[in-house]
Amino acid sequence: MMADDHSPARPGALSGLTPRTRAALVAVLVGAICLLLGPSLPWLVKWPDAWTIPAAEWIGTSLTWFLTLIKPVARFFSMLLGYPMEWANALFTGTPWPITIGIVTALGWFIGGWAMALLGLGGLSFVLASGYWLESMATLSLVAVSVPLALLMGGGIGILANEVPRIKSGLQTMMDVMQTVPTFAYLTPLLLLFGFGPVVGLIASAIYAAPPMARNVILGLERVEEDIKEAAIMSGGTRIQQLFLIEIPSAATQIMIGVNQCLMAALSMVIIAAVIGGFNDIGWEVLLTMRKAQFGQAMLAGLVIVVFAIVIDRMSGHLATNPHRHDKRVSLGIIAATCVIAALLWTRLPDPSQIAWLQPIADGLDSGLSSFTVANGAALDALKNGSMFYGLLPLRIGLDSAVLPFTWGFQWTTQMSLILYAAGIAIAIVLAMRGRPTLGLTLLCLIGVLETGIAELPWPFVLIGAGAIGWVAGGRKLAMFAVLMLGAILISGLWEKALLSLYLSGVSVLTCAVLGGLIGLLCAVSPLAWRVVQPICDMLQTIPLFVFLIPVLMFFQIGEFSAYLAICLYAIVPMIRYTRHGLINTPEDLIEAAVSSGATEWQTMFEVRAPYAAPTILLGLNQTILYAFAMLVIAALIGTTGLGQSIYLALGSADVGLGIASGAAMAILALVADRLVQGFADERRKALGL
Amino acid sequence: MTSQTGSDDPAISCRNVWQVFGPNAKTALADAKAKAGGDSDVAAQSLRDQGLIPAVQDASFDVHNGELFVIMGLSGSGKSTIVRCISQLLQATGGEILIEGENLVNATKARLIELRRRKLGMVFQHFGLFPHMTVTENVAFPLKMQGQNKADRIKRALEVIELVGLKGREDSYPRQLSGGQRQRVGIARSLAVNPDIWFLDEPFSALDPLIRRQLQDEFINIQATLKKSIVFITHDIAEALKIADRIAIMRDGKIVQIGTPTEIVLNPVDDYVREFSKDVAKGRHARVASVMQPATGADASGPSLRQDMTLEAALAECITQYDAVAVKDADGKVIGQVDPSVLAKALQAEET
Repeated sequence: MMADDHSPARPGALSGLTPRTRAALVAVLVGAICLLLGPSLPWLVKWPDAWTIPAAEWIGTSLTWFLTLIKPVARFFSMLLGYPMEWANALFTGTPWPITIGIVTALGWFIGGWAMALLGLGGLSFVLASGYWLESMATLSLVAVSVPLALLMGGGIGILANEVPRIKSGLQTMMDVMQTVPTFAYLTPLLLLFGFGPVVGLIASAIYAAPPMARNVILGLERVEEDIKEAAIMSGGTRIQQLFLIEIPSAATQIMIGVNQCLMAALSMVIIAAVIGGFNDIGWEVLLTMRKAQFGQAMLAGLVIVVFAIVIDRMSGHLATNPHRHDKRVSLGIIAATCVIAALLWTRLPDPSQIAWLQPIADGLDSGLSSFTVANGAALDALKNGSMFYGLLPLRIGLDSAVLPFTWGFQWTTQMSLILYAAGIAIAIVLAMRGRPTLGLTLLCLIGVLETGIAELPWPFVLIGAGAIGWVAGGRKLAMFAVLMLGAILISGLWEKALLSLYLSGVSVLTCAVLGGLIGLLCAVSPLAWRVVQPICDMLQTIPLFVFLIPVLMFFQIGEFSAYLAICLYAIVPMIRYTRHGLINTPEDLIEAAVSSGATEWQTMFEVRAPYAAPTILLGLNQTILYAFAMLVIAALIGTTGLGQSIYLALGSADVGLGIASGAAMAILALVADRLVQGFADERRKALGL
Repeated sequence: MTSQTGSDDPAISCRNVWQVFGPNAKTALADAKAKAGGDSDVAAQSLRDQGLIPAVQDASFDVHNGELFVIMGLSGSGKSTIVRCISQLLQATGGEILIEGENLVNATKARLIELRRRKLGMVFQHFGLFPHMTVTENVAFPLKMQGQNKADRIKRALEVIELVGLKGREDSYPRQLSGGQRQRVGIARSLAVNPDIWFLDEPFSALDPLIRRQLQDEFINIQATLKKSIVFITHDIAEALKIADRIAIMRDGKIVQIGTPTEIVLNPVDDYVREFSKDVAKGRHARVASVMQPATGADASGPSLRQDMTLEAALAECITQYDAVAVKDADGKVIGQVDPSVLAKALQAEET
């Protein structure tokens, strides 16, 4: 009986095909059909405009109607928020600067002793010296109002999710969407609701910063030990007492991590919101100087943002992870001393807007940079053009269109395509004979993509391909999800832009995966390398998205290549971190077993550590993808095509429909990619029994 | 504050308690019981077939006033679930749970809070100490819930802290204590309101063997003076035999045997219970009374045994005897006799 049931796997035979192979085969077949019939049936390649529904217009009309309806409430709300904002602004810009510096230093001391006090002192002194004191204080006052709002909202949502388990998954999905919808996209409806002005930035940043808080509150409350919760019940506490006297204090560390993330998100968003203008803050300053191509100044203003980010991050992070506090009296002494100094020097205190000690450096940087770009213009251009012509462009429009005599030295012909495909088929057959049919078919797919170009892929191939990947990663449900979601973009008429976005983020993710993976590997092997890379990673993760644009602009001007670099810079960090983390944290007994079997260090790395780390590395890849999509929209500021550009344009023209539709399309791409990679990670984890 | 009811109601009484996990457990249980027609095994099996988990199956027992009742079983046998049903941390799916005659299954939330503030105390396996409170604050927390003022509750907390031998660590935080010390705090906290009924859910399982034995001994001493009605959960047969007045043995959600330690050791109802007591040195737990026969003329003037001697001690006493030996009570009156060969046989049984 056993023998009957057990049919031996025959490589090559159809009956022996694994689900993976079947999925790959379907994708190849669909691709081949599109390729063969494309010339005679153009709708197979390009979704006809006649088949689209004007989703953007519909969304625009209905949303505008709805927004107009609630506009009076919103305006009232915005008026209410105007007061605390003015007060905060008056407080922050009106306080004499020595006192502000003194307070931050004192706070630093109280939180973390000498190190934090020096960080506060040094950071704020730099801000003062940069000449952007007032602008910085304006930004800070926005953060100071938006963060309490975000904390209240996030905390409330978190507690609500904890108390009413039924709505928890719904709330979590909502927060997923809130965080994947690009920030620019929801600026547009907010603009319509609240009118131009800093209140929009305030509200956007509160909305953006609430989910991390809510997530951490949920996580923290979930992780309170069951015994502690039960002890609270058995002590006779009411539910409110249990929650506020026991569970929330027990989850304090996690909740403080939420506060830290909330602060960082709010800061980042306040700065991004500067693009709508209306408020003289530091983000606006960066934007202005960037537009005027004063890169020295832009760099300086960017550094001010970075300094703020670091001071806020390190102090609130320390608050979360280290319960030890320092002597309050020292802090009070510092504040008193600065007050005295400020009072004594009252008349002679220079106006912070007159201070510009670092401006000469900025000017010097500016001119130095100019001469550098002039002197090395040829090399920079060569780098940029080389990457464009031989890397980015072929991936975007395919070898068949990108290979031109002007760049490559010869013209791509149909014959070459045929040869390429023939080679691909040959390789696939050889691999199939050796028992690796899936690899062969996947390779064939990739060759097809390279020949056609990502932005010009036929839509059936993309849909079926995504469905096939979904099927392999998570079964029928995931496949349906991927196909339906992408189908929604297809019929909404944003398909071409979506493919362009897919192309740019895809290329960046690929670069990050390869480079980040290698750096992660290096850091796993060499502690010295990690000591160098870690602070860079920390730095890159603290910097608000916006600031990444400055250095790439300095060297490579506006354009796709700059956007690509900015995305890579930002999105590579999780890949490095997770790769290293996964490779480092193999259980000790597995390593010992490998070593005692006689494995060399590299054998241990590839035979034991790497497979064990696979789920973690996949999670890193997942993060990298989400980071890339987040940056993609910001990068639209310096010239990308695709959905990011649409969102940005919609913001400029207050076109709610286009903004929301493009934002939703972007979110769909990110969500689908996220679920697919998660599916693979889950599958790997299950296979390893983790 | 001990029980003044004075009635014959047992401290705790569980009647046909079921705890079923899964969607719509209540209706599924009612259906299954109706279909099975009184056979709880059949009902449980039909629940399992539907994908539900009957964690406690038709459990009935009483805990008398001042009795130390131990529930023993392997992990997953439902012993922790049943103590949570009694303490109402879980709502039982079916059956009645009476505390001093009052059915808790229908009790309101407010009534439960009231009961927990006055009558019930619980100790947890992983201590369940509040990490942000000092030892004193932890112990005083139930008193705070009662609404006592600060001075009173600190005073009472210090008393209980001294009782459990933690004097000097009042201002420490849980993270600064060892495992044994933490559980002392847990015990002190559960005793702070002087509850009549005391639940201990594997209180010593997370501790090192030496510390465990020390705490067991202290626990026995505390109980000797306080005389609480106790439900004590453990997976350790030696612990159960050492401390229990009566033991209930659970398996797959079912109570398979309830009895005194001696009964459990000498008359296991099935192989499962026998398996447990196999590794236990019976001689140290069973008493002479359990193997005693009516006196039929044993020599009362020769060496004699007392009925409360352990078998081990008894055998040492009469190892050289061939004939039946008289058993006397505390007053020296002959109340029965034991044949040394019977004694030896009873002790031998554990080797097989």
